[in-house]
Amino acid sequence: MADKQATVYVIDLGSTLSRVHPLRGESDLDYALTYIWDKIAATMSTGRKTDVIGVVGFRTENTDNTMATADGYENICVLAPIAQFLMDHMRDLKRVLVPSRRKGRGGDGFSAVCIAVDMIMRYCRKLKYIRNVMLVTDGRGEWDDEGCEEIVGQIREEGINLTVLGVDFDDEEYGFIEEGKDPKKARNEKVIKKMVEGCNEGGQELGIFGTLAEAIYELGKPRLKKVRPERMIPPSPSTSSDILALLSQNPSVRVHILPRPKSRALANARAYQIEDDAAAGGMMDIEKEQMEKGYNYGRTVVPISATDEAITILETEPGLQIVGFVPVEKYRRYFSMSTANVIVGARDNPKAAVALSSLIHALFELESYALARLVTKKNVAPVLVLLAPFIDADYECLIDVQVPFTEDVRHYRFPPLDKVRTISGKVLEKHRFLPTPDMEKLVSEYVDKMDLMAANDGGDEPEYATVDETFSPILHRINQVVRWRAVHPDEPLPPAPEILTKYDHPPENLLEAAADTLKKLIEASDVKKVDPKVAGRKRARDQPVPKSGLDVEALLTSAAPSAPKKAKISSTNPIPDFKNKLRTTEDLSDLEEAGKEMLAVLKELIKYSLADANYGRVCEILKVMRDEYIEYDEPGVYNKVLQGLKKAIVSGELDGNRMECWDEIRYNKLGLITKGESERVEVDDAEARKFLWG
Amino acid sequence: MLAPQELDDDGGQGRKKGSTPASAVLTALQCAYGVLQSRIISNPNDMMGILFFGTEATKFDTAGGGGTGGGYEHCYLLLDLDIPDAEGIKGLKGIIEDPEEFGSLLKPAKEQVSMANVLFAVNQIFTTKAANFQSRRLFIVTDEDDPHSTDKALKNSSITRARDLYDLGVRIDPFFIYNPAKGGFDSSKFYDDIVYRSPTDEEDDSQTAVSGRIRLKQMVSSIKSKSTPKRALFTNKLELGPGLVIGVKGYLLFKRQEKARSHYVYTSGEKAKIVKGVTTQLAEETAKVVDKAEIRKAYKFGGEQILFTPEEMKAMRNFGEPVIRIIGFKPASAVRFDMNVKPANFIYSDETGYVGSTRVFAALHAKLVRDEKVGIAWCIPRKNAAPQIVAILPSVEELGDDGVQIIPPGFFLIYLPFADDVRQNPENKLVRAPAALIDRMRAVVKQLHMPRGYVPDKYSNPSLQWHYRILQAIALDEDMPAQPTDTTLPKYKLIDKHAGTYCREWGEELEKLARNLATPAAKTSAAKRSTLVKGEGVPRKKVKAEDGGEGDEVMAAWRGGGVARLTVAKLRAWLEGRGLDTSGRKVDLVERVEGVLDG
Repeated sequence: MADKQATVYVIDLGSTLSRVHPLRGESDLDYALTYIWDKIAATMSTGRKTDVIGVVGFRTENTDNTMATADGYENICVLAPIAQFLMDHMRDLKRVLVPSRRKGRGGDGFSAVCIAVDMIMRYCRKLKYIRNVMLVTDGRGEWDDEGCEEIVGQIREEGINLTVLGVDFDDEEYGFIEEGKDPKKARNEKVIKKMVEGCNEGGQELGIFGTLAEAIYELGKPRLKKVRPERMIPPSPSTSSDILALLSQNPSVRVHILPRPKSRALANARAYQIEDDAAAGGMMDIEKEQMEKGYNYGRTVVPISATDEAITILETEPGLQIVGFVPVEKYRRYFSMSTANVIVGARDNPKAAVALSSLIHALFELESYALARLVTKKNVAPVLVLLAPFIDADYECLIDVQVPFTEDVRHYRFPPLDKVRTISGKVLEKHRFLPTPDMEKLVSEYVDKMDLMAANDGGDEPEYATVDETFSPILHRINQVVRWRAVHPDEPLPPAPEILTKYDHPPENLLEAAADTLKKLIEASDVKKVDPKVAGRKRARDQPVPKSGLDVEALLTSAAPSAPKKAKISSTNPIPDFKNKLRTTEDLSDLEEAGKEMLAVLKELIKYSLADANYGRVCEILKVMRDEYIEYDEPGVYNKVLQGLKKAIVSGELDGNRMECWDEIRYNKLGLITKGESERVEVDDAEARKFLWG
Repeated sequence: MLAPQELDDDGGQGRKKGSTPASAVLTALQCAYGVLQSRIISNPNDMMGILFFGTEATKFDTAGGGGTGGGYEHCYLLLDLDIPDAEGIKGLKGIIEDPEEFGSLLKPAKEQVSMANVLFAVNQIFTTKAANFQSRRLFIVTDEDDPHSTDKALKNSSITRARDLYDLGVRIDPFFIYNPAKGGFDSSKFYDDIVYRSPTDEEDDSQTAVSGRIRLKQMVSSIKSKSTPKRALFTNKLELGPGLVIGVKGYLLFKRQEKARSHYVYTSGEKAKIVKGVTTQLAEETAKVVDKAEIRKAYKFGGEQILFTPEEMKAMRNFGEPVIRIIGFKPASAVRFDMNVKPANFIYSDETGYVGSTRVFAALHAKLVRDEKVGIAWCIPRKNAAPQIVAILPSVEELGDDGVQIIPPGFFLIYLPFADDVRQNPENKLVRAPAALIDRMRAVVKQLHMPRGYVPDKYSNPSLQWHYRILQAIALDEDMPAQPTDTTLPKYKLIDKHAGTYCREWGEELEKLARNLATPAAKTSAAKRSTLVKGEGVPRKKVKAEDGGEGDEVMAAWRGGGVARLTVAKLRAWLEGRGLDTSGRKVDLVERVEGVLDG
């Protein structure tokens, strides 16, 4: 849980803020509010009841504050008392945040700060809060610094962070000086700055004084949610007798959680059913009381009552047990499967800490990781983790990451990249899959030129794209648009801030330097994009050849010369027969004939299908036919077959209602071949859709 | 899609050496049994079947038709192709445990079985039982390298039937068993004519007959690895620089295998049945059923819901087309150990979209391996997926002892954390161990080095195995296993042998140090004990003065009977320092503290 926080925004609403700066094209107040709204919306988006906001306006037309009767507190209004800020507050506030129409009246800035400090003191009392006062002004009103020390003293005593941001205030560090500044404003800037700096005396850094432009510029930078470290495992005595330590595990890296949209005002109702052929619709409703828990073992259902369930759970005791040590250079970095956690000694246990420290240092010195079995709670499944030492000037810990068990590894095999082996087992050194020496040289040059370790112009660190610099684009984008929509309900969504897409392309400076190499590399590589429409068609009429290289076709004709070439496609072996038929002909008429025969097979399969028993086969056959006819460039034949089949199904001539078969065809996306897939037909997407669903 | 496969068994051709006449068959069956068991865990929806060929008996009653074996002489369908059930597995187990009993079943036929018939039988099983499946595999285990040496017509028709299987997308993987009576196994006599391979097929190991006694483990592992069809996770573009794009496919090589989730089961019927839950969504106010199209999603904000049109929802998540775009390179060491959020994906070049991809991929691979570098890339793995920053880390091919690939050559995409993902380190007082203690620990670490590094194959998931072991025992009516096998437990005997002395030395050193350390926790408890034992005479103030930290306050409060007056934070810290549970409400904490102190 984050700390409680109270923030009071103090906003200058003097008439001078209606001034429109020619370069910005909006009033100074709107300019200032860009910042304020973003800050308020950011607070609102946390949805926390303990992050509260109050708003004070000064140089307002009216007076409405607790000190209203006292002298010097005129024209200051509490626009929103401190509370969790909700949409209603926001709408109310929007209405009142307009520049005053009356000129040159009271409303002292320092008095307004006083009101804000008073609000905070009353609200927070002595409780633990982060206290903030945030003031925006154009510096053209009254700033009476008499008695200022008292306010400063109070701010320091309460530990309130005071931030003052001014419209077009001078800021040498940021590099902004306003030309032709009004002398009154210049004087005010000085007075305010002195007051803010006063807050920084006495060892506390409480005051910030700056120009608004810089603050608004900083808005583009994503705000990080501060997360307090969280202890994951209750530190537990390890059972490993010798290497013993009381430890505590804490997340080091944990994936952020995206805000998820929720369905509006919905409740779920659940019903339970089992398959039952006797019941209507094949399903029978079950009461919750009639059910037990169970697992599948293959096809067999193994019921396990709630009381028995414990026996399927492996009994474990919490602890971290070291299995052995792994040299760093032998560890495959890609084994790491999880987020990383930090392990430190338990609080108030110096013995554990010193024991752990000796392990950390030994690992560090021997360049090793430890392999350990980790059980976080009683009877929780053990995992294997690798422990890496981390040593800093004032910090030591182990970092753990989970590694795979044998069950977690999928053994897919891939051909080597440095040689090509033919079917016959010959090894080739030159092949179109292998790079030329020229390519190798250019790739090497390109990689060297695109070195990110010194590519960060003007940053603190020379390394480009470090973890600290990269922000989750989706997370901050969603937060940004939700905030935006809350403040601007009727406007279209703004573009994503630049920082979120900064790393979607290489840095310009590197690219420039490597442009020449890249050009040469592109030429040498000669990569050609394949037109998807032409893709499959090329390989047509290739005869499949077994490993031995035997010409099966020749064998068949020679072995059985008498066999009628146009043997009918059999219903027991339709797919191979069909493929074979297509292979041995060039004739359109034969292709059409094959289609007709297949249609007969399909009809037969559906007709004699017990319920849906044969529907899978029907779909498989249709899929093969669809692919083959596209490949043979005769998609019309397929479309004709499918039309015939649909007619037969719809008419009910295939032994009753077979619409479920059509559903299956639909589900498998086996509709008409469209223009997009083959130029030889005229069917467009709309027509195909209509055919499939009509 | 599912991946069915068929294990075909050679029913006792030729003479087997050894005492049991059918040892090779048995080994094959054991292998099938092992594969079956492991696939129930890893791919619970896969179908499997077992067909003997060359048996005297004939049985072919696949549910899809075929009758009692007409036309399929000497084929014996032991297990029809389906998701295995308890009965089938029990049957198989019965044969393995008591082969004598099933002697008649395993009796070889006197005449040569027609391989064409066998292959057609397989064809029928696949088309009827596993229609519309993406992946179909046939494993043939045999020691006969030339079944139709004298009958050319039969051989030819076998070749035709084999091509039918090819047309059906059935992949044949033969396992040859060395038959000493025949003097070797020559695949060119018959099997090379029925096995089809594409030129880029990388799964094929050079087929050598398993000689002498068949190594069961090798067979199991080989079938296991072959029976998982290589399925791509995504197809994407890899952009090395503007204008240089190649095709790649992504694969998931590491994924936590979880227990299949539990179901609700209806047990009042004849057979236990899985209950299906149906969820309907009701409007909160009217309790009316809501149609899916009516549902709008909203974000909660400031106590209200912020609405977006479906187009806006899409647009806000859209950061462009899928791509893996390299933005530059870093040394591999820049991808620190702690920069990890989820399992890495593997990518390999794909020529179908871009001809020439492989040579560019290979050139980049060679360079990054040689210089120990990684690419850093902006990665949108799939359409509408959230963009990520990845490190492209090359992997070097590694072969196992049997020459089979363990680690494929290519690149792993390591998903790097964003700044948002990084947590603050917990506050912790730095206590640095003195050199003497570190030296002793170093000796331990040195002794217990595993020079091969971490090898996943050596460690089974104990909780997963136990779960299925119990299910199996219940499903097959077996005796409950007494003791789980847990390969993840440290081998203490071995550790003691190699490093026992060093461990003890370290332990002694630690104890020595501990005595001199300011350990408030330990001291308080010692003080407490003495107070309790002796009962009187220990001046309270003195005890208090000796203590430091939170220990004394809790102790003092306890003595004064005011533990409940302490803050939750203090109670937690005190409990934590003793390795006790710190969860629960204050009442629980107080109770726990008092429980400890009251003895």
